[in-house]
Amino acid sequence: MDPMAEIKATFFQECEEQLVELESGLLAMDAGDDSSETVNAVFRAVHSVKGGAGAFGLDDLVHFAHVFETTLDEVRAGRLAATAEVVKPMLRAADILADLVRAARDGGFVDPARCETSSAELKKITGIEDTAAADDDGMDGLVFQPMQVALPPIGDAPASGAPDLDIAALLAAAQPEPEPAPAEPGGWTLTFKPKAELYKKANETVLLLRELARLGDVEVELDASELPLLPHLDPEGSYLSWNIKVRGPAPEGDIREVFDFVESDCDLTVAPIGAEGEDASGLSADDVAAIASAEAELDIAALISRAQGGIAETSEPVGQSSEQQPAPVIAPAPAAPVAAAPAPAPAAAAPPEGREAKAAAAAATIRVDLDRVDRVIDLVGELVINQAMLAQRVTEAGMARASSVAVGLDELEQLTREIQDSVMAMRAQPVKSVFQRMPRLVREVAAVVGKQVRLVTDGEGTEVDKTVIERLTDPLTHMIRNAIDHGLESPEKRIAAGKNPEGVVRLSALHRSGRIVIEVADDGGGINRERVKNIAIEKGLIAADAALTDEEIDNLIFLPGFSTAATISDISGRGVGMDVVKRSIQELGGRISISSRPGLGSTFTMSLPLTLAVLDGMVVTAGQQTLVAPLTAIVETLQPRRADVSNLGDGARVISIRGSYVPLVDVGLSLGYRSEPLDAEQGVALLIEGEGGRRAVLLVDAIQGQRQVVIKSLEANYRRVPGIAAATILGDGRVALILDIDALVAASRGTEAPRMLQAG
Amino acid sequence: MPAAASISVVVVDDQQTMRSLVRTGLQQLGFKDIREAGDGEAGLRQVLTGTTHLVISDFNMPKLDGLGLLRAIRSHEPIRGTAFIMLTGRADKELVQRAVQFGVNNYLVKPFTVAQLKEKIEAVFGPLT
Repeated sequence: MDPMAEIKATFFQECEEQLVELESGLLAMDAGDDSSETVNAVFRAVHSVKGGAGAFGLDDLVHFAHVFETTLDEVRAGRLAATAEVVKPMLRAADILADLVRAARDGGFVDPARCETSSAELKKITGIEDTAAADDDGMDGLVFQPMQVALPPIGDAPASGAPDLDIAALLAAAQPEPEPAPAEPGGWTLTFKPKAELYKKANETVLLLRELARLGDVEVELDASELPLLPHLDPEGSYLSWNIKVRGPAPEGDIREVFDFVESDCDLTVAPIGAEGEDASGLSADDVAAIASAEAELDIAALISRAQGGIAETSEPVGQSSEQQPAPVIAPAPAAPVAAAPAPAPAAAAPPEGREAKAAAAAATIRVDLDRVDRVIDLVGELVINQAMLAQRVTEAGMARASSVAVGLDELEQLTREIQDSVMAMRAQPVKSVFQRMPRLVREVAAVVGKQVRLVTDGEGTEVDKTVIERLTDPLTHMIRNAIDHGLESPEKRIAAGKNPEGVVRLSALHRSGRIVIEVADDGGGINRERVKNIAIEKGLIAADAALTDEEIDNLIFLPGFSTAATISDISGRGVGMDVVKRSIQELGGRISISSRPGLGSTFTMSLPLTLAVLDGMVVTAGQQTLVAPLTAIVETLQPRRADVSNLGDGARVISIRGSYVPLVDVGLSLGYRSEPLDAEQGVALLIEGEGGRRAVLLVDAIQGQRQVVIKSLEANYRRVPGIAAATILGDGRVALILDIDALVAASRGTEAPRMLQAG
Repeated sequence: MPAAASISVVVVDDQQTMRSLVRTGLQQLGFKDIREAGDGEAGLRQVLTGTTHLVISDFNMPKLDGLGLLRAIRSHEPIRGTAFIMLTGRADKELVQRAVQFGVNNYLVKPFTVAQLKEKIEAVFGPLT
């Protein structure tokens, strides 16, 4: 790739990150967060997009970003308040910016009228008509210093001898000019060091700290410096202590009262803020001493995060704090006050936890082309097949299980699995990227249908394969639209029903037994079963006299051609029904089910595989063919007795399992591998559980064994075959088809056209 | 008349795109020793731990911003002679003025051409050979 193309690709990748940052920042602002950190991050996102776009001559993008940036700059400078009237148009602008970026990347096109409307909206807010984006010369009168640099040959020793100390001191020097310190509200500085007895008496430090937080503005710093390495750690010992600042008017007595019950089991000091050598700059004596004693023992990271802590706290300007005098600067710079003499050095305190954790989370990532990861996944897939083939050869060669070759192979299998898991983890991403698109959707839909809605999300950090995430957006979007449009009642109806006028839509994700479960729940009126049934009869989906259970009625909404909307609103009625949602979930190897309670709401539950690449399967034979049944669907395997099987006529059979009757599916017959039904006693039965807990028994000729198989899409390589989910390559090189359990279960129930199967 | 290859540069920007663009430009001008940093703090480490003649730094960055980096460099004797060119997103006079106060040697408005990059570097060091 030529270097510019490569940089451009990087640019678009970074844009995606910036756009996410932009949206989440704006959403935070919309929720009332107007901290400079947030506003700055939002500004920086737009600014970065614009900067890069300029370099690649993406003029539309630059112009739009420029207007957007101007608005944000007004907010950043405090000239414009981040009210809803300001943030909402910016959210719309963020959408357009995203579209412009994607259009620039994929060669698409964004309606200029949309950009114009949004631009005009933003300009109206700021009252700034147009600032030329490229008035390069407003810099007259500025004099720049040429550098009289003596250029030493490259490779000279670093200019500085003691970089560790320097960074700390320099970071302190790099602080913004100290502004007059705001008057301290007064308060207390505490050091709290529990003894082991405190814990033995079942006291909880976190409760004490929480109690303190009631008394004022609390800053808590954990000192973990005495924490020994694991081998030396006494699990019942006490190693942690806390430095706490309580700001506010609370009297000392109140502070001490918090520790009333534990006073004898801890070391506690309480002193007024300021009395502990804290200078006006906001740096405590500890900080100064820590920086001063840096050379002695402190590691650089602790210092940096300490110094950074000061940077973030704009309310607490930090001044010069080290004994080192700042060197005179070339141009006049405001003189920084020199700190008071440092106090005796106490033990180094740990850096504020939150910041450090955040920094650690942001660090240590590399960008890898997805194709490369997929190539590795493919190769590992081949490796798994190869390993399986090898294992089979070894067995065929009659080697004992205890032979060194067999043992070695077992180890290889273990390793292969681990490699596979690790590679899969590379493709895993938190569902957050999908979830965070939903708040905007909820707002927009709620506004259109005139309902009050609160979206609650949970488990955003749950990880799943990138492809699953990408293909989850559409079904989720549709389900949330549905939940608001059809699920929730109007505020008037809710009030009449004694509910909060604001409806709640809950979106959650969690891992459960090797799958990811995503739920969309609403606290609306639940499914109107009477209406659903009538519609289904009207549309000829079910017979007028069909006797259906509540669950079966609820599931009617997944049938193709079903739509409950009496009028096609422009929200849900876009010709996409729940059947499409169901199909897209199934295409991902997932299941979807609904549970609904009248008056209390409905919950849609989707269960999806974590990866689309491998599957634990049971290899079976049916009518000379080798097939694979997904292990997750199999409840148990059993040897049927002829007496347990009853004929219902019409070729349908049921089998009695511990007193309950379950439909029997003759796999060979359903898939057309044989023309005569298999005698149940000649075969093996697999009790399977499909979507919504519906059970069926698959009758096959024999079980070959259990193994992990690499999924090869049948659709991509051949075409969609009803009853078959995908294909795989077995250890002996043969191709085997993977059964679509849900389709088979549905067929056995007769709810989903068994003829579909026969057609295959 | 310094040779471009004899000048070691640290490029500081939170965007990989921008760092790559500056790097590509510098390479075209014959620069060889180019290091990169993703924020002001990392930039400061780079300047402290290796010979650095020139810093080309973005202004708006998380953690330590460009102005902070400039102040830090100018306040520390062993490295205060490092030349500093500020990258700005737009011709913000107020910002550049503040940077001048702290001893910035020049500024470069994004997006820039290689010729502009050369011009600004030459304004600091004299014509490159």
